[in-house]
Amino acid sequence: MELEYVINSTIAILKGFKVTYGLFFSTLIFSLPLGLLIALARISRYKVLQVFTGAYIWLLRGTPLLLQVFFVYFGLPALGITLNNMTAAILAFALNYAAYFAEIFRSGIQSISKGQYESADVLGLTYAQTMRRIIIPQMVKRVLPPVSNEVITLVKDTALVFGIGLLDVLRTAQIIVTRDFDITAFIIAAVFYLLNTAVLTFIFRKLEQRYAYYSI
Amino acid sequence: MSILKVRNITKRFKNLEVLKGIDLEVDKGEVIAIIGPSGSGKSTLLRCLIRLETVDRGSIEIDGEPMVAEDAEGRSVYAPEKDIRALRRKMGMVFQNFNLFPHKSVLENIIEAPIIVNKLSRREAEAIADQLLQKVGLADKKHNYPCELSGGQQQRVAIARALAMNPDIMLFDEPTSALDPELTGEVLRVIKNLAEEHMTMLVVTHEMGFAKEVANRVIFMDNGVIVEQGTPEQIFEQPQHPRLKAFLGQILRS
Repeated sequence: MELEYVINSTIAILKGFKVTYGLFFSTLIFSLPLGLLIALARISRYKVLQVFTGAYIWLLRGTPLLLQVFFVYFGLPALGITLNNMTAAILAFALNYAAYFAEIFRSGIQSISKGQYESADVLGLTYAQTMRRIIIPQMVKRVLPPVSNEVITLVKDTALVFGIGLLDVLRTAQIIVTRDFDITAFIIAAVFYLLNTAVLTFIFRKLEQRYAYYSI
Repeated sequence: MSILKVRNITKRFKNLEVLKGIDLEVDKGEVIAIIGPSGSGKSTLLRCLIRLETVDRGSIEIDGEPMVAEDAEGRSVYAPEKDIRALRRKMGMVFQNFNLFPHKSVLENIIEAPIIVNKLSRREAEAIADQLLQKVGLADKKHNYPCELSGGQQQRVAIARALAMNPDIMLFDEPTSALDPELTGEVLRVIKNLAEEHMTMLVVTHEMGFAKEVANRVIFMDNGVIVEQGTPEQIFEQPQHPRLKAFLGQILRS
């Protein structure tokens, strides 16, 4: 394994960053708020919202992410909506991850004791104020572990998009491996993902420490 | 002058009838201790007053304004949301489990509602909070978090938090039941001070000594009804009803 080859391969693989990270950040930016909205709708007192969001969550957690990506990219044109492959990927990923986050947030919210709602209630806070200032801030601390799981999984899920022709880190590595008959590029890709996970793990541990100023 | 008028309220949870027709009138400045065995409906009564629960039948009037009234068929009809909010704001409640906001400091717990609900400025709210923290003896714990405080301290913060909204009536639902015995004193002392300031209070409690010392009136509830009520002397020294005698006998025995 020549150092020069490794360096050149790494530089080539770096080109895949645009897709991998573009998808990673876009998905989080859309799926986190969407997931929270769905969670709130899921626990709302309007039966219609409960049923609708329940179905949504079942649908999006119940089918493979790759299948959903295919549906958006290959299927939507039949309805007259044609998206380029990056937009299709972001849409499918965001909708999918929102479903998982919704369940995480819902369980986080429901794990907050009823007494918190009651004391906010008797002090005169509205439901919205209680959610925004009392419940959701506490929920954040609760859901850091499962959310960190999802975020770490997301980095690796981005590799799926080679299925609609996007050149992410893994696909780029695969092209190099196939061309050169040498698995060095795969090892570089593996290192990339490992470093990513290490950084994310570190960030989440810092977040958990930051929230350790109070318990329960 | 009646600040609270309760007429014939009943409440059931699924198959269980928890309140079976309660009549109660409270005058301004009265301190009422509500005693009785577990399951007698004491907490439910308090919770109905502040509308954490709804009654099935009967009426509740706060300061002359109806919170819930009976219609022609005898069913309970609640006032519109807006009016209920206004009435609830006249009351403050202290819970057995304190229910402080764990992610907020003591100061932040107390100023939260005054700022958010009463639209006070931060400075005004903090001034009120400082005053109340002095009153409950916790001025030096202003910036601590609930998890750093003992149960007795947390409960005193909870009392200050309720008082910050300037209620006319304070409801206490077993304020010392979750505390170690040596911590109940500090909380009872705060409640006693409030009584001396003529705050109208309803206190559900198992602390008979406290009830004897501080209450104007003691109400004994059992099985969803008010069995007997009177002054502390009447209730503790000359109990009439056999169920009250039995209850007091059990308390003395333990």
